[in-house]
Amino acid sequence: MTSALELTGIKKSFDGVVALDGAVFAAKSGEVHALLGENGAGKSSLMNIAAGFYVPDIGTVAIHGEAVALSGPADARARGIGMVHQHFKLVKPFTVAENILLANPQRHFRSGIRDIRDGVRKQAVELGFDIDPDRRVEDLTVAEQQQVEIIKVLLGGAKILILDEPTAVLTDVEAERLLETVRRLAQSGVAVVLVTHKLHEVKRYADAVTIMRGGRTVATADPRVASAAELTELTVGQTAPLPDRTERPLGPTLLNVGALHCARSDGQVMVADTSFFVRAGEIYGLAGVSGNGQAELAEALIGARQPLSGEIWLEGPGDIAAAPAAVRREAGLAAIPADRYAFALAGSLSIADNFAVATIESGCYGPPWLIDRAAIRRDASEAITAYDVQGVRSVGQKAALLSGGNAQKLVIAREFSRQPTVVVAHSPSRGLDVRACAAVHERLLAARDRGAAVVLISEDLDEILALSDRIGVMTRGRIVAEFDRPADRQEIGRAMVDHA
Amino acid sequence: MHDVAMIAVESQSAPPPKLPPRRGRGRVTLDIRQTISPWKQAGILGGSLAIGLAISVVILDFAGIAPLDLAKELAGVFNADSLRSVLVRAAPLILVGLGAGLAFRIGFWNLGLEGQMVFGGIFATAVSIYDIGPESTRIVLMGVAASAGGILWVLLAYWMKVRFRVNEIISTLLMNYIASYFLLHLLYGAWQDSKTAFPQSSQYRPFERLSDIGSGVNSALLVALAVAAVAAWAVHLSRAGFYMRFISANANMAKVVGVPVRTISLIVIAASGAAAGLAGFVNVSSQEGRLTQSFFDGYVFSGILIAFLSRNDPIIVVIVGFLLAVLFVTGQTLQVFYQIPFTMVQLVEAIIVIAVASSEFLIRHRIRWTR
Repeated sequence: MTSALELTGIKKSFDGVVALDGAVFAAKSGEVHALLGENGAGKSSLMNIAAGFYVPDIGTVAIHGEAVALSGPADARARGIGMVHQHFKLVKPFTVAENILLANPQRHFRSGIRDIRDGVRKQAVELGFDIDPDRRVEDLTVAEQQQVEIIKVLLGGAKILILDEPTAVLTDVEAERLLETVRRLAQSGVAVVLVTHKLHEVKRYADAVTIMRGGRTVATADPRVASAAELTELTVGQTAPLPDRTERPLGPTLLNVGALHCARSDGQVMVADTSFFVRAGEIYGLAGVSGNGQAELAEALIGARQPLSGEIWLEGPGDIAAAPAAVRREAGLAAIPADRYAFALAGSLSIADNFAVATIESGCYGPPWLIDRAAIRRDASEAITAYDVQGVRSVGQKAALLSGGNAQKLVIAREFSRQPTVVVAHSPSRGLDVRACAAVHERLLAARDRGAAVVLISEDLDEILALSDRIGVMTRGRIVAEFDRPADRQEIGRAMVDHA
Repeated sequence: MHDVAMIAVESQSAPPPKLPPRRGRGRVTLDIRQTISPWKQAGILGGSLAIGLAISVVILDFAGIAPLDLAKELAGVFNADSLRSVLVRAAPLILVGLGAGLAFRIGFWNLGLEGQMVFGGIFATAVSIYDIGPESTRIVLMGVAASAGGILWVLLAYWMKVRFRVNEIISTLLMNYIASYFLLHLLYGAWQDSKTAFPQSSQYRPFERLSDIGSGVNSALLVALAVAAVAAWAVHLSRAGFYMRFISANANMAKVVGVPVRTISLIVIAASGAAAGLAGFVNVSSQEGRLTQSFFDGYVFSGILIAFLSRNDPIIVVIVGFLLAVLFVTGQTLQVFYQIPFTMVQLVEAIIVIAVASSEFLIRHRIRWTR
């Protein structure tokens, strides 16, 4: 049987940086084909070529055995290739039906939108989605927006469906439901390409897996036969060992949160009566199902959100709940927020500026009346090397051009360059590949060993269990249980879901 | 039929994919530029400006001014007499341009430059009317008072924004009307010129006027240049300027990494008001020599235009302010000799704003026509 989609010998470079170097990929109709690899391995670039967004420098794209030269995404769509991007391409103030009409132009608006509306309803029923075509996209949840993207692509007649890291933005339950749907789609004859770096998804849902590393295809395997260790080895190159833990005596309390209440921007109280403390030399893990107030708590701790009431006490300045963020910075607080481009980086400014902004107040880059640009560039270059931030051609380039993992490394380089005493990290490894993830964890453990108090808020229980000295479980804005290391995974899981 | 292939919507952080040209029938493709060289950027800006000016020339031609006559009038600006009035006009324009540019740099849309000018003029005139301070330092005191007036009026809007979340675009714009009616209240009331009974304040005394300092240069221009120099230093070299870039790029992020957002905003907005207040002062003191009903007229629009054209860079504000003064002085000549209304000059201004605004689109995007 010929492949539905086949890419051979693909090479592609952007401004001299090689993204793909001899990549190969083939997916058959009726299968879920996973594309596995670290951040920056070239998965997204390769699939953007398949979907007509990029033109390869060298190499061929074949659809159902026929070599084609895609002239653009519209051409790819016409040939039955549909891609759902990580960042959705939807017009937020438009309704679902209007968005789908935009991607699939009809001759007449009125009859077109009527047809689309019917099509959406039918497709939604088939896929088991609950989507009202007349709702505005901005009112939909992330999972629903993704469903709209999938319906959009399928209504466009896609027989080859490319999903770029579809589960990165979903909760576990939503992810499972999506992947079940994807399986059913494949059974109906669609070729599904699942771009991911989550091994368990590959093991559970994929019929075949292609593994990429450094812009090359390193292997194609049957995930039901290959072991997880083998797949990891292929993805990472070499397995990164978990850092050893050295036991140290705990120091004094550095951070104390007392009876904290925080509201979401719409007024809903998300953090209600949360209290905990963190001592020098320990990592306090906060586990919980996403949406139980973790985001608001993290924002309150780093100074992005004004709490309604309660205390955030830091060794040194005391209660800083109402103080501006600058005060906690001076006291040595480091912030690693979950949403990097919302709270940690200014994408339109340079890497060097983003690196220097947190420390410049101390006077290390010249007096207030004259900033020392040379020193900023020098320190930024050094930090980029020390923290292994990749994809940097010059420290003067915009921070938005960094990939997710490298942007996170830049944030960490900046935050840890000042030897923080308190670290607040929220989902620090979200969207990162295995190696970047290990690097982040190493930095957190090093900070702890140096005597910092670390708060680790994460929805990833494995991360919490691997790193934390003490674990609090957050449910409905409260800490409902606390566990000492070694904690029992089952008990934590029960605390996360049981509490009414 | 040509249609736009695809418009990338809300690409927040990920660089948007490039669209290759589509073959077949002719088609316009639009993509977002990743980078652009400063030369190309200047070229696009200059090109748009040229198109705007060309349209203006055509419109003026219809209004009865032949392009050749127009060129002659423009050249006439550079004789000593006209140059002197250009330099006098340039001073308040540079100052309002700085006022607008500074506030725009941190994303505070100060459209209340006229109101701040009015209060600058009122405060300065109050110093004159109530004879405050010795004669030797009177002019300095008037300048300080004018700045204070501008600061007061803009900070009122900033306070409403912080305290009640009132959008400053609306508050500053509407406060212009409050200011101008308060001015009329004074000019038709307590401050009316007792000698002439015209609705204007009495003439300033000589030591209250910004005078010529030789070779046709008025000291008003020196005030404007000094403010521009300080602003250029603050924006480009100081730590506050560094912070300002973060406040406009991502205010939430700036707050979290410890940028003193409130303090910097307060200082910059106050500086914006002070510059506008000074503009009011140099205008009344160097040109009219008294508070009039309309000394501030049209300056909010000019200020926005200058900030726009100069991309909020204080150094370029000086150049653009000067060019706009040339436009105004020529416009005055045209009004007198060709009987065109002042609105024509404003029309030319508006055309230039639109041309520059559209150049922004071309700088961010690339349009290609492929067949």
